[in-house]
Amino acid sequence: MLRFVDAQCTIGRRKEYREGSLKTTADILEMMDRCHIEKAIAVHSVALEDDVMQGNRMLVEETEGNSRFLRQWSVIPSTFGEFLEPEELLPEMKKNQISSVRLSPNIYHHSLRPYAIGKLMHALAECHVPVFMDAWQSDWDSIYQLCQDYPDNSIVITTSGYEYQRQIAPILETCPNFFVGMNRYVVHDGIRLFCKEYGAERLVFETAMPYYSAAAGVALVHYAEVSEEEKELIAFGNVMRLISEVNL
Amino acid sequence: MNWEEYVINARPFDGVFIFDVHGHIGNYHYSQVVDSDAASVVHTLDKLGVDGICVSNMMQLSSDWKLGNDMTRAATEKYPNRIYGYVSPNPFYEDCDLRPYFAQKSGIRGIKIHGCLDREMPLDDVRYERTYELSNELHLPVLYHAWETWEVKCAINVAKRYPDAVFILGHSGFREYDTKLAAIEGCRQCENIYLDTAVSGIYDGAFEWIVSKVGVDRVVYGSDLAFFDCCHTLGQLVTCKLSDDDKEKILGLNARALFRL
Repeated sequence: MLRFVDAQCTIGRRKEYREGSLKTTADILEMMDRCHIEKAIAVHSVALEDDVMQGNRMLVEETEGNSRFLRQWSVIPSTFGEFLEPEELLPEMKKNQISSVRLSPNIYHHSLRPYAIGKLMHALAECHVPVFMDAWQSDWDSIYQLCQDYPDNSIVITTSGYEYQRQIAPILETCPNFFVGMNRYVVHDGIRLFCKEYGAERLVFETAMPYYSAAAGVALVHYAEVSEEEKELIAFGNVMRLISEVNL
Repeated sequence: MNWEEYVINARPFDGVFIFDVHGHIGNYHYSQVVDSDAASVVHTLDKLGVDGICVSNMMQLSSDWKLGNDMTRAATEKYPNRIYGYVSPNPFYEDCDLRPYFAQKSGIRGIKIHGCLDREMPLDDVRYERTYELSNELHLPVLYHAWETWEVKCAINVAKRYPDAVFILGHSGFREYDTKLAAIEGCRQCENIYLDTAVSGIYDGAFEWIVSKVGVDRVVYGSDLAFFDCCHTLGQLVTCKLSDDDKEKILGLNARALFRL
């Protein structure tokens, strides 16, 4: 049976609760069981919506003893001492078994250019920590520039959406460090076409639970007209390779 | 039925009638629509075991209503009993008469109206009246793009005035909270309003919630194929926590009656 590792889920109470959607971490774990998702990269809602370090600490507490969650921290640039400097951040990440980070420049109102996050990105690249960001946190010109500015960072753009075919293609062609998360990538026959044009190595399974559906994403992979080897790369291989390269 | 086994093994859902009320063929300006021709759509139906789909050509909703409608009819003639069609009015053209499409025996089964693409014209505008009278006279299903609250509210006004037609709120108003509530209220007020499942950003638990609000008899399966890949919605629908009987109603039995299949 095809294994799945989810490259994005959010735990914790959140601002937006959609009617009938999954509510608790137990709900997410039950959904993972139903969809045969072994593990999921998890970030805490508080770290995404309000307070980065408090949310990051809550993530560690709430996932303690649960090996099914691969911890992800939300990060921002260190300005006026608001956040950890890279030389403090990386040891903290190692201590707390953090294997990826997430940028949210739209929510936290910061630039992605080197003058703002260059030091942080350089430190993350040295330790091969993959950087995740939702597409809606920026615009596609800026995402292209992000990949260009930081060629040594693996950058996974999640929640890419069906409507961005024309935007993602030129970035895939020019930026080998650019990966596409497939939540909302519901393009008809899109997985087959993506693999044919750019290879399965650049597409990463993600559900974005509880905001989006795990069951729908799993079905998209199962029914994709690609080889079993390509499905394995998308479902778990690519994300696990990125995580396995982390050297904190 | 062990739905999960079908999904895991990527098998077509044989033995259950599945009809997709919300499909498209043709290309579109907004985004690339991959494999948008009728043959590719039928290929996908075969892969999933979907018995039939009712489509509109994207062109009939945007630039050329006549050419788009004719291409939809051609697709129904090329793939009878697999591809059925909606035709669409262009309210800006006084000579746009859809009656001839229903005068002959064909796979044309209903009307598709996309108010947002009609320059956000209110769906209860007088310029749509001729189309609604036709729908009422022939008991046709009218599929609305129902993404904005104003669209849903207009649809309710129309449904009350034309009780012999059937009105399907495409996307179920699944954008903002008040849009969803308006769609639910529409079902409560009008027996001829139905909701479809074509939502790109659907989340787990959504279908169970819709059914709890409007009842299973008022929900029909729609995918937005080939705009979206129908594996997406179908995969979630078949594995959600509804009963098998409820799933079969949504997947096809409700639509069978509405579309006289």
